[in-house]
Amino acid sequence: MSKALTAAQAPGTTPQGGAGPRADRNQVWRRLRADRSAIAALAVVALLVLTAAAAPLVAALEGQDPTTYHNALIDSATGGVPIGPFGGASAVHWLGVEPGTGRDVLARLVYGAQISLSVSLGATVVQIALGVLIGLAAGLGNRLADTVISRSMDLVIAFPSLVFAVALMAVVPSGFPRPLLLMLVIGVLGWGQTARIVRGQVLTLRGLDYVSAARLAGSRRWRVARREILPALAAPVITYGVLQLPLNVAQEAGLSFLGVGVRPPTPSWGQMLSSATNWFQADPAYVLLPAVLLFVTVLAFTVLGEGVRTALDPRAESRLRAGIERRRKKTDAQEVPA
Amino acid sequence: MIRFLLRRTVSTAAVLLVMSAVVYLVFYAAPHDPAVLVCGKGCDGTRLAVVRHKLGTDLPVWEQYGNFLRGLVAGRTFDSGNDVTRCAAPCLGYSFQTDQPVLQMITQRIPVDLSLTLGAMVIWLLLGVGTGLLSALRRGRLVERALTTLTLAGMATPVFLVGLLVLMLFCASLQWMPFPTYTAFTDDPAQWAANLVLPWFSLALVISAAYARMTRSSLLETLAEDHIRTNRAYGLSERRIVLGHALRGALVPVLTMLAIDVGQILGGAMLTESVFGFDGLGRLLVTSVNQIDLPVVVGATLFAGFFVVIANAAADLLYALADPRVSLA
Amino acid sequence: MTKSRAAVAAAAVVLLAGFTAACGAGGSTSSSAPAAFDPNACQGGTLTVLNHRGQGNFDPAELYTSGGGKVPTLVFRTLTTRNHTTDGPDSAKVVPDLATDTGEPNQDATVWTYHLKPGVKFEDGTPIRSADVKYGLERSFAPELPGGPPYLRDWLVGGEAYQGPYKGGELASIETPDDSTIVFKLRKPEGDFPFLATATQFAPVPKDKDTGTAYQKHPVSSGPYKVVSNDGGKSIQLDRNPNWSRAVDDQRLACPDRIVVTSGLDQSVINQRLAAGTGDDARAVTTDTNVDASVLAKLNGDAALKKRVVTGYFGETQYLAFNPKVKPFDDARVRQAISYAIDRESVVNAVGGTAVAKPATTFLPDQPAFGYTPYDYFPAGQSGDPAKAKELLAQAGYPNGLTITLDHSTVTGDGSGPEVAAAVQQALGKAGITVKLEGTADDDYQTKYQKPATEPGLFVASWGADWPSGGPFLAPIFDGRQILADGGNYNSAQLNDPQVNAEIDAANKITDPAKAAQAWGRLDAELGKQAYTVPLFHPIYKRLYGTGVKNAYVSQWNGLYDLSRISVK
Repeated sequence: MSKALTAAQAPGTTPQGGAGPRADRNQVWRRLRADRSAIAALAVVALLVLTAAAAPLVAALEGQDPTTYHNALIDSATGGVPIGPFGGASAVHWLGVEPGTGRDVLARLVYGAQISLSVSLGATVVQIALGVLIGLAAGLGNRLADTVISRSMDLVIAFPSLVFAVALMAVVPSGFPRPLLLMLVIGVLGWGQTARIVRGQVLTLRGLDYVSAARLAGSRRWRVARREILPALAAPVITYGVLQLPLNVAQEAGLSFLGVGVRPPTPSWGQMLSSATNWFQADPAYVLLPAVLLFVTVLAFTVLGEGVRTALDPRAESRLRAGIERRRKKTDAQEVPA
Repeated sequence: MIRFLLRRTVSTAAVLLVMSAVVYLVFYAAPHDPAVLVCGKGCDGTRLAVVRHKLGTDLPVWEQYGNFLRGLVAGRTFDSGNDVTRCAAPCLGYSFQTDQPVLQMITQRIPVDLSLTLGAMVIWLLLGVGTGLLSALRRGRLVERALTTLTLAGMATPVFLVGLLVLMLFCASLQWMPFPTYTAFTDDPAQWAANLVLPWFSLALVISAAYARMTRSSLLETLAEDHIRTNRAYGLSERRIVLGHALRGALVPVLTMLAIDVGQILGGAMLTESVFGFDGLGRLLVTSVNQIDLPVVVGATLFAGFFVVIANAAADLLYALADPRVSLA
Repeated sequence: MTKSRAAVAAAAVVLLAGFTAACGAGGSTSSSAPAAFDPNACQGGTLTVLNHRGQGNFDPAELYTSGGGKVPTLVFRTLTTRNHTTDGPDSAKVVPDLATDTGEPNQDATVWTYHLKPGVKFEDGTPIRSADVKYGLERSFAPELPGGPPYLRDWLVGGEAYQGPYKGGELASIETPDDSTIVFKLRKPEGDFPFLATATQFAPVPKDKDTGTAYQKHPVSSGPYKVVSNDGGKSIQLDRNPNWSRAVDDQRLACPDRIVVTSGLDQSVINQRLAAGTGDDARAVTTDTNVDASVLAKLNGDAALKKRVVTGYFGETQYLAFNPKVKPFDDARVRQAISYAIDRESVVNAVGGTAVAKPATTFLPDQPAFGYTPYDYFPAGQSGDPAKAKELLAQAGYPNGLTITLDHSTVTGDGSGPEVAAAVQQALGKAGITVKLEGTADDDYQTKYQKPATEPGLFVASWGADWPSGGPFLAPIFDGRQILADGGNYNSAQLNDPQVNAEIDAANKITDPAKAAQAWGRLDAELGKQAYTVPLFHPIYKRLYGTGVKNAYVSQWNGLYDLSRISVK
């Protein structure tokens, strides 16, 4: 493909930015702390992670679990709608019960958070690891390797990953653990952007003085990579990873929504939402709860990601206004699953 | 220019070829025997062998892939002696589960995605570029902050969430409009539009956020460029500068982004189609995945990829044409 | 039951899930009385059928129907058919269709003779001859056209080895001494033959118009409608057949001028559209989608909507099947423990509640036509008896419980899916049985459990009535001679008990349906003691129809309104 596709760089992660290889961690933290919305988002994220990690505790606190059926709490004659207002919410079931089964909604939501967060986090790690490896190989390899890898990157980035993920879920044997499969599928289909950023960074860094100096001093290529380049990659890669997380949360929810995600009785938000098409008239509360939770999660990660980006590279915005930054390319945009 | 086009065509074809090989290999390495599903009840060993032979799944995978490629150009005939199934060129495979050529199944559904994409596109462009423009003009003010927050929220909302909520609100609670069902444009244009309004807005709302961001940052860059500064120095009003000079240049990356998005959604808007129950390419893929109708899975995936690759080429071309700094050589 | 080339839609689904536009058997009341309806002023308009599952291949040889099917009965006339004209208990009876009577058996019901009515014609005006019926039947033996019911192969002399007319010549056991007479020679007594003769395989096919596997695209009509367009069974348009008239058909009214079948719709979408009833949807019905919670919740406050919901019963049982060849299910005490532990209330709720499912303790559907004989040998009450289950498990050598795997389909909404499996898992958990769930995509799932070599130890299955009689309900599941090693096996317990086989043979000989029903009921009550299955529930059909639909009364054969009697004018 053309220059337009290959020469792009991550938003606000140009190596000449403030977060150089020797960036001061304290400074970054101070900047992040000053960003009120980022701190709020961080608090929400922390709360979510804690809740997910302590899901059994939360459920125990309520005195419920995600799998016990409560047939007495739903009206079988009208299709299993929870009895009582707001999805049958009560002192016993704080957020009501699931229509059709009477399972506790709060317990299912917090256990669903486990799936949502672990899959998206795992997928992000896979994406980053693959991306860094492949990007390094492209940036440090010979011309042929670079060309081949760059072309594959273009393809991986351009391809609608949801399409391929859905298709892939069809061909994997049913015995394979689903959460792990989701991580791998989302991860393997999403390394393209990271690899491109890393490649771009490597190419720039290779030309920088201290790297050239190290090379001239006789360091081997991979040693240079490890000692000089990898640390410099930390900032852009972290930024990108945090920005990627909310997309992976949405991706997991989307796959579960389409019915190819985790399997019952494992609770997941996407699954709850996919049965929503049958329930939003009879039991709106059941739809609204996972919807709000999913929205808040994705929003919190997005805002946090923006905050981290600004903290790592505070001059991006002013540079942008000053017109120093290079013209943005179309591939800066991230795919929105439709 | 011609050289650029030629090179692009060749590389696009190469990418498509590689993609088809990968897709084909992955799906045919899957632990499913399409012949068993086709063969049906009381299927014994000999009968199964006949079906395998007819489907061509008894051949090594590279030969199967060869047949697939040949079918694209010359069509295919599935023959088991006295039971012949023809699939005319370009044959993208044949679904024995539904007894239809895959390409036919796909082309029947294109109008759905075309309608969905084109309508949504108009809305998300107006919404996205408008928002971006406004926040660039009012930068540093309350409006910008509000718009930035809204944009972030938009990016944070999966389309099926928006779809569910609008269905809940407008169709179930307020009952302002009936639940959408796809009506072909050729049948009844008014019904077509009426039924598509909710899907259009749901899709557009989610996608426009990215356009708002892109427009804003691109506009800010352009405003900082020399010739704009010159204009400003001449005392032209900010409004005139933005609308008369900066916007045109700023929209180049937006246009290229648009090409890619349109390509992706044309290939199937799975989530949107699923929420609204539209039978488009996305749902075709989901259904065939659930029914393990592999020829359709391969065909639909490739078709989606086809749109994307073409859209990429179009985006590059657009970019090159609009921005003189990119050479076409 | 089974899977045809259009595995998705046709066969297995038809009978197993009872969801497709084909099957039937039942008993119920209906909400609209046929009395006030004037059949002479009912013609005109377009009836829309909104369906979830596709029709599959629209070839009379490949369709698997009960009583001639719902949509198929509009195009294919058969020797006999279900009684279309009424909604009482009589609607579960067989009546003549193309034939003059329901068949004349010989002394021991091994030879059946039929005569065609005079004046019956194909859509092109050619008279229908007995040879056309014979040819249609022969086609259904061709391996190229799979999917039909297995009985013909089993019953007709020479049927087992016959390969259809393309390769195998003619089938000698179907004789056509003249153009209006057809004689069937069976290898064993079958009192139910008139019921089988309602299947679309008994529809005439003109040999010179047969195009093999392509015939399904435009099958030649013998009924009131002809196929105008057919998109792989997904959407079908039928227009009036000018060569059909009520003078030669007393079963079908054929009121609408045109019938359009659209499938592939979400079940919630179908309900939304039928409930709203705007535009063409006012004149719409569905043959495969039950009302869901969104409709059920509104019924009490909306009398007009309530009027448009019909309730019917299709003879079908959803059950857990054991494979006693797999440990620990070889131990009757383990099977009994699971029977005790089952929570039918949870299962019923998981599939939509008491409006659409009724807890089952017998394998036979709870309707007299099947020979229903109540029993509940392992009383689990409403929600299971885990204490009793634990006791039995301890006796069987599992005092600390055990871990088993439950196989299920991944398709939600058809009764064999994850929602049912999860409810079972939860109930057995209370009895100390840890259940691992193993979900398989629909078609693969059926292939898997219908082959003894790959059959799981415990799985969710269902069985639907081929016709309202105990025979087709019990024989395929418990007849030891119907164990099929190559697939398509429904004798999941792989039971081959000479005494059971003998009782099946004895019951098959009875030509009086009432007496046969008694025999089947007795057999079911005996088999139940062995706990080879855990009956879960019998589905109830609750279907909406549009505001402009008239004469939508429910048949007790298939639990649904009859498309051939509905008017939209």
